[in-house]
Amino acid sequence: MTENNSVLFLDGNAAASLLQEIFVPDISIAEIRCVACGFASTVGSLRLYAASMGAVLRCTHCDGILIRAVHTRHGRWLEMTGARHLRF
Amino acid sequence: MIEPAIAPQPRLEWQLAEVRAIVVETPRVKSLLLQVPAWQGHLPGQHVDIRLTAEDGYQAQRSYSIASPPEDALLTLTVERLDNGEVSPYLVDDVRVGDQFELRGPIGGYFVWTVATRGPLCLIAGGSGIAPLAAMLRHRARRKVRAPTLLMYSSRSLEEVIYGEELDAMSRGDSDLRLVNTLTREQPEGWTGYRRRIDKAMLAEVGFPPEQHPKIFICGPTPLVEDASRFLVELGHPFPTIKTERFGPTGGLAS
Amino acid sequence: MAGSPISRGFRSRRQEQTPRNRVPPGQYVTTDFPVLSAGPTPQIKVEDWTLSLQLAGSLLGKWSWAEFEALPQTTIKTDIHCVTKWSKLDTTWRGVTFDDLLKGVGLAEPPTPYVMAHSDGGYTTNLPVADLINGRGMIVTRYEGLPIPPVHGGPARLFVPHLYFWKSAKWVRRLRFMEKDERGFWESLGYHNYGDPWKEQRYDGD
Repeated sequence: MTENNSVLFLDGNAAASLLQEIFVPDISIAEIRCVACGFASTVGSLRLYAASMGAVLRCTHCDGILIRAVHTRHGRWLEMTGARHLRF
Repeated sequence: MIEPAIAPQPRLEWQLAEVRAIVVETPRVKSLLLQVPAWQGHLPGQHVDIRLTAEDGYQAQRSYSIASPPEDALLTLTVERLDNGEVSPYLVDDVRVGDQFELRGPIGGYFVWTVATRGPLCLIAGGSGIAPLAAMLRHRARRKVRAPTLLMYSSRSLEEVIYGEELDAMSRGDSDLRLVNTLTREQPEGWTGYRRRIDKAMLAEVGFPPEQHPKIFICGPTPLVEDASRFLVELGHPFPTIKTERFGPTGGLAS
Repeated sequence: MAGSPISRGFRSRRQEQTPRNRVPPGQYVTTDFPVLSAGPTPQIKVEDWTLSLQLAGSLLGKWSWAEFEALPQTTIKTDIHCVTKWSKLDTTWRGVTFDDLLKGVGLAEPPTPYVMAHSDGGYTTNLPVADLINGRGMIVTRYEGLPIPPVHGGPARLFVPHLYFWKSAKWVRRLRFMEKDERGFWESLGYHNYGDPWKEQRYDGD
């Protein structure tokens, strides 16, 4: 069993369809700034964890959570408390 | 570094795609050419979601990169059959011309290149990760733009090189396009090319130097993507110039 | 989902291969052990590891690794069920039961009705204590006889196999007793608060 962290995450771009159901402009090219460390990234470049349960998008600089999202048959959840802003 | 936003997109809606043609690419890989009636176009590198529904209502959804350029009328998805997969065996073994399934897209403006982007283009692919990069190359060829371009493509054997002949022909006819294959498991007699996984030395030998500011796209299995991007950073390429698309084990693209 | 056209010939192959009486609805059996994490794998040295039981502001008990390993050990062989639909049968785990943790701090019964499990990396999950006592919950350190690898939650994870496996928090470090239920990481984002696989309680609203 691998202990390599890298197989645990995908690129933020892979969360695009989950998030795109909520946003009108293309979320994957939006700039997002981390509340914890101030680093600005493009959403598509974030580290996407737990893709099979939803999306946990983490800062490439500090690993802080920027976006959490889940889509179930009962609705969609979106939490962005880790993001200072999104810029489209 | 942060590209300006593209115009707002229509909300993603499921449409019905119909299989118009099937191309056998390699023993485990087929391309499906799809007619999508209300298709509004896409940018090279984007992907789609597809959704299959069984008679009992069970559904499975996966993402696939669009392998065709926006200049093509039909949408091409290239699918590798994964033995433990739920969807890929159906798409590769069972799907026939005339079959339909739900599709939505295009999705993901992040992993995108068009001929409007200046500068050298460095594409690194492993296995079926070639699909979105093929869309970029085919777009580049159709628009007859001679941006200096490198494709470094890692495959297990010659017979597993997807679009092999097309890529060879493309590079033969275009002195600004360099094609470097590496065959990691099995090589034909007389093979003079690389025989190992992509590593730092290989990238240093054939890649554009950082001073030329190439735009870099890497797509394939996670270990290859992880290694290649790390080596490129070590060779001096700024992290924001490297865009990656990992084909992970679960979730994400294709299984 | 209503109104989706049928894809000719498509079936869920995974579910066909599953013995239906053994696994909950909607699950398929795997022989792999898929890894799913909400964040990077913490790399924890056992010399630095501790496990705490907390109630309001105070510490009911705290064990170092050596102290934890000296507690009564229990081995269990059982099935596990992930909300992402895979089930794994006959898995063997070893660790300390929640009952033995309570005994270890001199408690005959849990002080509150609920617990929040806190893990390295920030993950949380909530449970009624009723689902931890009487052998239903453990803190495990061995899988198939070997130390649990970090990607699967080592050095120690919570283990509550009768619920969906997201409740078996990886890298657990702290069990906080709560008077009132609070929702953890996935429970606050659309997943079911309880998570009984036999009732297919995957999502909030199921």
